[in-house]
Amino acid sequence: MLIDFRFKALDPIRNNVNWLLRPLEYVMMMPRNVFEASSEYFTSRGTLDKENQEMKVRQAELSLLANQSEFLLVENQNLRQLMDLQKQVSFKTLSVEILFNPPNAISQRIVINRGSNDGLKVGNPIANDSGILGQVVRIYDHSAEVSLLEDRDFAVPVQVARNGLRAAVFGAGRGNPLELRYLPVASDLEVGDVLITSGIDGVYPPGFAVAVISRIERNADKNSSNVFCAPIAPVNRYRQALALLYDPQWDAKASTATNNSGAPLTNTPGRRQTRTRGMQ
Amino acid sequence: MIDFQSGYILRPVSPVFIYFSLFCALMLNLLPIGNYGWVPDWLIICIVFWNIHQHRYVGVITAFILGLLMDVHNSDLLGLHAFSYSLVAYLAISWHRRIIALTVLTQALHLLPIFLLVSLFPVLAHWLLSGEIYWWALTGGIQALVEALLWPVATRILLSPQRRPIDVDHNRPI
Repeated sequence: MLIDFRFKALDPIRNNVNWLLRPLEYVMMMPRNVFEASSEYFTSRGTLDKENQEMKVRQAELSLLANQSEFLLVENQNLRQLMDLQKQVSFKTLSVEILFNPPNAISQRIVINRGSNDGLKVGNPIANDSGILGQVVRIYDHSAEVSLLEDRDFAVPVQVARNGLRAAVFGAGRGNPLELRYLPVASDLEVGDVLITSGIDGVYPPGFAVAVISRIERNADKNSSNVFCAPIAPVNRYRQALALLYDPQWDAKASTATNNSGAPLTNTPGRRQTRTRGMQ
Repeated sequence: MIDFQSGYILRPVSPVFIYFSLFCALMLNLLPIGNYGWVPDWLIICIVFWNIHQHRYVGVITAFILGLLMDVHNSDLLGLHAFSYSLVAYLAISWHRRIIALTVLTQALHLLPIFLLVSLFPVLAHWLLSGEIYWWALTGGIQALVEALLWPVATRILLSPQRRPIDVDHNRPI
């Protein structure tokens, strides 16, 4: 136990045991999958019709948005180039399926069906259509374990979408709301503010929704505030998710011109500037 | 072996049945029920049962190997379940003479601390390693309670092949 805790040296053993265990797990997942498949099969025609309608409307909206966002993306890149800023990094996505939620009192994790053979790496964020779900913490050949947002001491650097205030969201364990830490009492926060990833850490790509502020307790005497948030993505509901293969290694180095001029660095949201400042 | 409940002598146990039941319990543990505190750990019921009734077939080493499998499945620290299972197997084997002579309900009461030890061991290890108690995980106590309540059922099911009568006269049942 101590060896595993301190050195993480036993992962090969784990991988081999997993190789033995995974087929059994797949067998035991069959009843649930069959049940779900059959209940889907027997949904009535009306429900399907309604769903179809909704999907069509949603698709129209999304395609409109996509067209616009393409335009905005090009414009943004051009403007960034004009201002001699770091270009935004693009990343690939990999669709994953959530297999099961291992019974574990201490941590809150899920197991997904993609592993290192599919190009997944430790540290890749997992998201679904509404926001960030978690991060890959342990990887096998054909599966991986993902730590969820609710996991204890799971930290995500975020930014308040309304005013760009930076902070970090911490998980507080199963069933507890997330906490927003390291903010002074006078900071401009309101219940209902959406927190998006800031991209400072180089793990999460910037601009993904993480949580909504649900409750704020300000105690002026201690000059601190307890801010609680609820995750946006329904953590325990869906089976499909996306892994974002976002690798900070792909990120180009900051151009020398930016560093020399120095002037436009201060107010730009972006990862590279912050890191350079922190290192100096 | 004598069945202390009825006073009859039981039929000899079949090792195949023992390993089959352990395998079934392992498969039940792999069911994707979800991360809830009350889901019973079928495997430890089965291990403790065979430790008490047939400790020559299922001992500490079997418990250790099965615990290792559960560690990988639960994504715990490697060795957490392996250690707690083998500790409990040792306790169960050393108490088996005392426990086997009791009635089934009293047995369940005696085994409650053993199940509690297994359920709360992760919290204990976490406390030793990181220095803070994770209170929410104490809901594992419910799991131990459920397991103790399942003990009479387990006794009934797992002893049933040994309770079959030896000579069945089809012409004169009874």
